[in-house]
Amino acid sequence: MITFDKATVTYPGGVHALKDLTLEIPDGEMLVIVGLSGAGKSTLIRAINGLVPLTGGDVVVNGVSVRDASSKQLRELRSHIGMIFQTFNLVKRTSVINNVLMGRLHETSTWRSLLGWYKPDDVEIAMRALERVDIVEKAYVRAANLSGGQQQRVGIARALAQEPDFLLADEPVASLDPPTSHVVMRDLQRINRELGITTIVNLHFLDLAKVYGERIIGLRDGELVYDGDGAQADEHVFRDIYGRSLTADDVMGQAEPEPAKISA
Amino acid sequence: MTTAAQVSGRPAKPPRSRALIAGIVAFVVITAISVSERFGIGLDIVELIGDLWRVQPILEQLVSPNWEFLPKVVDPMLETLQIAIIAAFIGCGIALPISFLASRTTVPNRPTLTITRGILSVVRAIPDFLYALIFVAAVGIGPLPGILALIFFNIGVVAKLLSETIDGVDPGPIEAADAGGSTRTQMVRWSVLPQVLPNYVAFSLYAFELNVRASTVLGFVGAGGIGFLLKVQYGFSLWSNVSVIIISLFVVVFFIEIVSIRLRRRLV
Repeated sequence: MITFDKATVTYPGGVHALKDLTLEIPDGEMLVIVGLSGAGKSTLIRAINGLVPLTGGDVVVNGVSVRDASSKQLRELRSHIGMIFQTFNLVKRTSVINNVLMGRLHETSTWRSLLGWYKPDDVEIAMRALERVDIVEKAYVRAANLSGGQQQRVGIARALAQEPDFLLADEPVASLDPPTSHVVMRDLQRINRELGITTIVNLHFLDLAKVYGERIIGLRDGELVYDGDGAQADEHVFRDIYGRSLTADDVMGQAEPEPAKISA
Repeated sequence: MTTAAQVSGRPAKPPRSRALIAGIVAFVVITAISVSERFGIGLDIVELIGDLWRVQPILEQLVSPNWEFLPKVVDPMLETLQIAIIAAFIGCGIALPISFLASRTTVPNRPTLTITRGILSVVRAIPDFLYALIFVAAVGIGPLPGILALIFFNIGVVAKLLSETIDGVDPGPIEAADAGGSTRTQMVRWSVLPQVLPNYVAFSLYAFELNVRASTVLGFVGAGGIGFLLKVQYGFSLWSNVSVIIISLFVVVFFIEIVSIRLRRRLV
């Protein structure tokens, strides 16, 4: 369970990225956050694992206050939260399995991690994570030699290797082409349904949000402007969230597995 | 006729900078002062050309190397290579952890960064020759002071180059490690080190190259190796022997450089 209680983030330049946000995310939910760039989607996601510090209010994850957490408590909290990034954030010069094993670092002692002597159990967990996103055959390939879609699946495997309770995905498909985007989104959906991991995804494309979001929240200028079922969100809702009429850039198109019902 | 500035919306051409002309004038003036008898070193071109003739007998011997001396060059040359390898190995080993404390990306806090960078500046400011003088005075003549001098020299060079490389790594994997609950040490080991490892090996090879070159100077103050032999032959004005030393040094340095450049190109 994640609870936002009047969470506020003001950046040093004076930009209010998050304003008095109050929100409850129950366990097992698949939540999609939509909004224009600069609306505070990334800030919201990073407030959950403390990558962005709060300047007011609080966020409570599994009963732990992110605001009051010491750096050690924060590391412990983060170990339960997997994160997936728009630019994948893999170490390209090393192998896929080494990247995925980074998800096991929180369970690995300093000297073992310095020498790279991961426990066999941890290597097994990493391999199973790669199998879950169907890319285990690339385990010993350098990450740089993979396509964008493959790299993002390795990114998902790294997050899964943490055996997390929560999964945060910050624009996970923004660097991918439409068919690959659906593969990655379906992976996330499957992980949410089969493993019961609470999944929070930032998306820009409205058709994707409608297809994969059980619940959609809309952000505008750091404020919550919509909170409701994905199925009920129609063109008017998105127009309200964006504060302007929709354009072709707001939908991905080539929709599958079912066509989205939003006109461009 | 319409000039560019008159077309609305286009900026007027900025006035020509005088900095370059001022720089050239300053350079000429400073050079003139340095050469002048009153303020500078008092360089006399006529005297200089006259002096060149005295070099003639030395040049004659230098161009006729005494190849019978070559076997005596082998051992000191091996000693030089050993000094260079040992110093590069230890110096670069010490430079690796220091580099992470000298980069904004990986340092735990600001004060540590300031202190590490300050120490490194001092280490770099002292020339290798001076290190050799200090260590010869401290531990006596032989290869040991040479090794010690080059260790400090290598720490300065490699930590500087490597910490600047670390400043420029891709921050994405660092964020990923942080988000996963890694400690700073684990983040450095798995997010940063793999990114800079090829550069590190290349810098270490470069340090080894520099060490072989530095050996001539180090030997002159008694820090072992080929430089010591050079000093003795030079002292007795045995120019055909000096010639053999210079030629073998040239060959060795040239060979190492070629191999090193090839290896480095493969790495980075």
